[in-house]
Amino acid sequence: MRATIPAPERLEILWTLAWAAGLLFLLRFVSIQVLQHAHYRELAEKNRTQVIAQSAPRGRIISSDGELIASSKPSFSLVYFPGASVPPSYAERLAAALAGPLGMKEEVLKSSLRRAVTRETPARIAENLSVSAMFAISELKNIYSGIDVITEARRHYPFGSYLSHLVGYMGKMDAREWARYGALGGYGFDSKVGKTGLEKMYEKELRGKSGGIFMEVDSRGRLSRILESRKWVPGADIRLTVDSVVQSAAEEGLRKSLSGRGAVVALDPRNGAILAFASAPGYDPNSFVSYSDEEFPRQAEKIPEFNMAVQGTYPPASIFKIISAAAFLESGRIDPSEKVFCPGYYDAGSRVFKCWEKKGHGRMDFLDGLANSCDVYYYVSGLRAGPLSIEKQARAFGVGRPTGIRLSDERAGNLFGPTRRATRKSYWFVGDTLNLVIGQGETLATPAQMAVMIAAVASRGSLWKPFYVDRVVSPEGKTILSRSPEKTGEVRLRPETWDLIWRALKKTVDEGTGRPAIIKGVEVYGKTGTAQNPHGEDHAWFASFARIGDGEPRVAVAVLVEHGKSGSGSAGPIAKRVMEAALRDVLTPPPPPPAPAVEVSTIPAAAEIRASSGTVRPRVRVSTSPAAMPPVPPENPAPAADEEGDEGRGD
Amino acid sequence: MLSRVGLKKGRMDWVILAAAAGLLFIGTLAVFSSVGVLASYERIVRTHLIAIPVALLFFSVAWSLNYQVYQDQWKFVYGLSLLFLAGVLFFGVMDKGSRSWYRLPFFSVQPSELARIGLIVALANYLDRRGGKMREFGSSLGALLLSIPFLLLLMKQPDFSAILTTFPVVLAMIFCAGGGVAHIAIIVGYAAVSALFPILWTLLAMSPELAQNPLLGFFAGLSSFGWDTLLFVAAVGALAWFGWFLSVKLYSNLSGVFFTGAALVVIFGFFSGMLVRNQMKEYQQKRLEVFLSPESDPRGAGYNLIQARIGMGSGGVFGKGVFSGTQSRLGFVPERHTDFILAVVGEEMGFMGTGLVMTLYLTLLYRLKGAAQLARDRFGYLLCCGIFSLYMVYFLINFGMLLGFAPVAGVPLPLVSYGGSNLVATFFALGLAESVYSRRYALV
Repeated sequence: MRATIPAPERLEILWTLAWAAGLLFLLRFVSIQVLQHAHYRELAEKNRTQVIAQSAPRGRIISSDGELIASSKPSFSLVYFPGASVPPSYAERLAAALAGPLGMKEEVLKSSLRRAVTRETPARIAENLSVSAMFAISELKNIYSGIDVITEARRHYPFGSYLSHLVGYMGKMDAREWARYGALGGYGFDSKVGKTGLEKMYEKELRGKSGGIFMEVDSRGRLSRILESRKWVPGADIRLTVDSVVQSAAEEGLRKSLSGRGAVVALDPRNGAILAFASAPGYDPNSFVSYSDEEFPRQAEKIPEFNMAVQGTYPPASIFKIISAAAFLESGRIDPSEKVFCPGYYDAGSRVFKCWEKKGHGRMDFLDGLANSCDVYYYVSGLRAGPLSIEKQARAFGVGRPTGIRLSDERAGNLFGPTRRATRKSYWFVGDTLNLVIGQGETLATPAQMAVMIAAVASRGSLWKPFYVDRVVSPEGKTILSRSPEKTGEVRLRPETWDLIWRALKKTVDEGTGRPAIIKGVEVYGKTGTAQNPHGEDHAWFASFARIGDGEPRVAVAVLVEHGKSGSGSAGPIAKRVMEAALRDVLTPPPPPPAPAVEVSTIPAAAEIRASSGTVRPRVRVSTSPAAMPPVPPENPAPAADEEGDEGRGD
Repeated sequence: MLSRVGLKKGRMDWVILAAAAGLLFIGTLAVFSSVGVLASYERIVRTHLIAIPVALLFFSVAWSLNYQVYQDQWKFVYGLSLLFLAGVLFFGVMDKGSRSWYRLPFFSVQPSELARIGLIVALANYLDRRGGKMREFGSSLGALLLSIPFLLLLMKQPDFSAILTTFPVVLAMIFCAGGGVAHIAIIVGYAAVSALFPILWTLLAMSPELAQNPLLGFFAGLSSFGWDTLLFVAAVGALAWFGWFLSVKLYSNLSGVFFTGAALVVIFGFFSGMLVRNQMKEYQQKRLEVFLSPESDPRGAGYNLIQARIGMGSGGVFGKGVFSGTQSRLGFVPERHTDFILAVVGEEMGFMGTGLVMTLYLTLLYRLKGAAQLARDRFGYLLCCGIFSLYMVYFLINFGMLLGFAPVAGVPLPLVSYGGSNLVATFFALGLAESVYSRRYALV
């Protein structure tokens, strides 16, 4: 047999084994402690810290006259910290105890408590607690460990559905939004973001910086100590160009209209600022604030999200005649004083086209033609001026092109004309010209486009890009972003043409179809329109602008009432109220008329938490022209919230 | 031999004491830090502070006495150790499913720690006496039989981790005494078979889909006594006989003893495995499962190892500073002051700390080896071999456990971990080694 290994050598073998193993251990130590150190450090940090995020108050949205359209209210959430080795029955008992005061189902509570226990992470059990619930919970807190109430800021829209289509609403993020915002940091999976409208478009400015309680917890999730309690930084305030009184007038008008459906867009023709932006029916963005994940999509489906002002496209009908009129006068083929006889119809050879007035208007010149909206005058003149010139003017006035307003999903409408037809490799018929000239046929426009068009007439050529944000003010009171009137084009017409159109529009209001819009002491220019609708009652249009004396026009408005039957009857009065509201400072009846809005009286105790000083900023009511708004007095900004808020502040 | 090992003359090997003191110092810091937030903080600190002087007393006593006394009185030492160990089954307290502690007014005593030193003494004496006959199988078997009462008593407690640290020491001592490698292989093979079956059954219990396999299903059925058992024994016997038949036909010079032995090893291993399986407590079962797949249950048993590693990894090179390890102080690292003390050292003192502990440990082992080689007689040599292999086993298992090379067996790291009995026993063992060293060339 083999020689046995001598004894001392055997000990050496064991020793070799020991140091070889030591070498192996050393490599492993280097690998874990040196090479993978960062990875393990991160894991250790994650282990020991828990964060309860507190969402920052979003920036407020304030109308140009100082009304608070959207604010943040303190809200109280119930948080559960999974405690030390609690028996399984604990969650059941706690759920049973909480179900009453919270008004929630016991099963729901139980499942969310259990989830918190198994995941060993603190969880929000309930949001937006009522005062009575809070009292109940503060008593339960002494009996059951692990529950606590934290303060957060919650979006609040004091006026409910007011201006809803412009403001939009908020909700929890979907996957796409998470991909977009998640990378920016500061968003948690349960953060709410603006889903539509201004809330979405100005998400970045409005958001602010979330705060949070950073806690050190032990292996059982028990709070060991608070590492840091980071205060939130509120978001920037947005000052709208929208005037609350004008807006109220518009919404009230639509609500009381024949169908209750429609849109009003009022612009300042001097810069394109939006004074009112209404689309009916609206919705109450508050209704989304407290909905849970599961309920949100269902709730979102129910609301009339369709923003008629920028998404509804309709034949502009007779208000298109303003564009046609411009084309006539510019073409040089029409003598404005020449009279055309209207027997009530026009025989185009293959087909007879009717005037809206079956009896006929008799002899009409340019001014009468527009004032009475005589179709026959437009058929005859349109054929003479030619469809190309009309299409050219329509293009110049922005038909078929989005206005560029900063809202998502704006529709472009449709430009109708021979060149467009040609690109589709189709023919242009005489009948098309006749349809084109009175704004029927394939021409489609949104109320916003028509507002821009009428503002262009009012400003004699400036095609504004409508904007609704006057400026964005940081919590420190600095203006981050201020309005910049922007033109998307210029309509170049001869001054005589403008003069004639203005005269015709004036005559329309004074003597023609636009009489419902007459305002005493104000020069009102306007045009009615009644869009034929094969699916029901005709849609009513009214486009107008107004000025005081010889001054510049200060308000231009386009009104659409779906199924409103006649532009003169249903859209005109709305336009009148809107213009009155916009010019109220000049009209000034000695006691200022109670604003047509009902909202003022229904303002809830608008508890705005300003994560700052705790004092309420005075509601600024600037009663000058919205366009020439003076700088708003510096508001007390500074973060550092008084979380108690200013409940009970009446107005 | 003096010149070969290069040790200086002296009454005592100060390096051993220095290394032990260094380890004790680091360990004390880590223990105090890791228990800082526990409710039992005061008790642990008090026990530790009592244990240190007691341990030094034991060290001095062991060092001053001539170690040869133990050889003369080996029967007394062996008997006392057995009695001490057996007594715990009657007078000990039940804690966490095992009865391994004597509860005394101020502290508890774990008899297995000191009894193990007694076993080493007895084995050293026996293997010394067998001097010239070490190549006989009987010598190895005798040493094994000498330790069997200890192992059975430990199994009765049950103290799985004590078995895990004691059995390899027995093997190492037989090896160092010059026992036949083949004999050791037989013992190892026997132990392996008896360990293999419980592992196999545990595996099958963990993943029942494996039992669908007919062969594995058959093995699964073997865990309880029945006709299958007889069939298995017969099959092993037949296989051995066939192997022998084949080797005869092939004119191989393997003797029939080899095949008989192999069959006997497998069969006895199998029955021992069955015994072990039926004796195994649930937590030991759990530990076995974790060793087989540590990642399977991140919140359960495997969680411990992961958390320990996170603690160690997060320490980096220089550590987070003593008393500021979050993983250990907040309780993420389990058994932080005992089995996973090294994770605490790693977190708070970083790679520097773990590297230092390892260096000190290797230094200690190196000097223990030196003491063994310097011993003036075979008994001293074997005594030091036993002590050396005991701490080597601790070193390998505890480090290996934390680093994922060995099962999470609940084996502490002597001198660093908290544990009064272990500390006293360790210093006593080091004292014995110093006694051997001191008396390397002088007649006292």
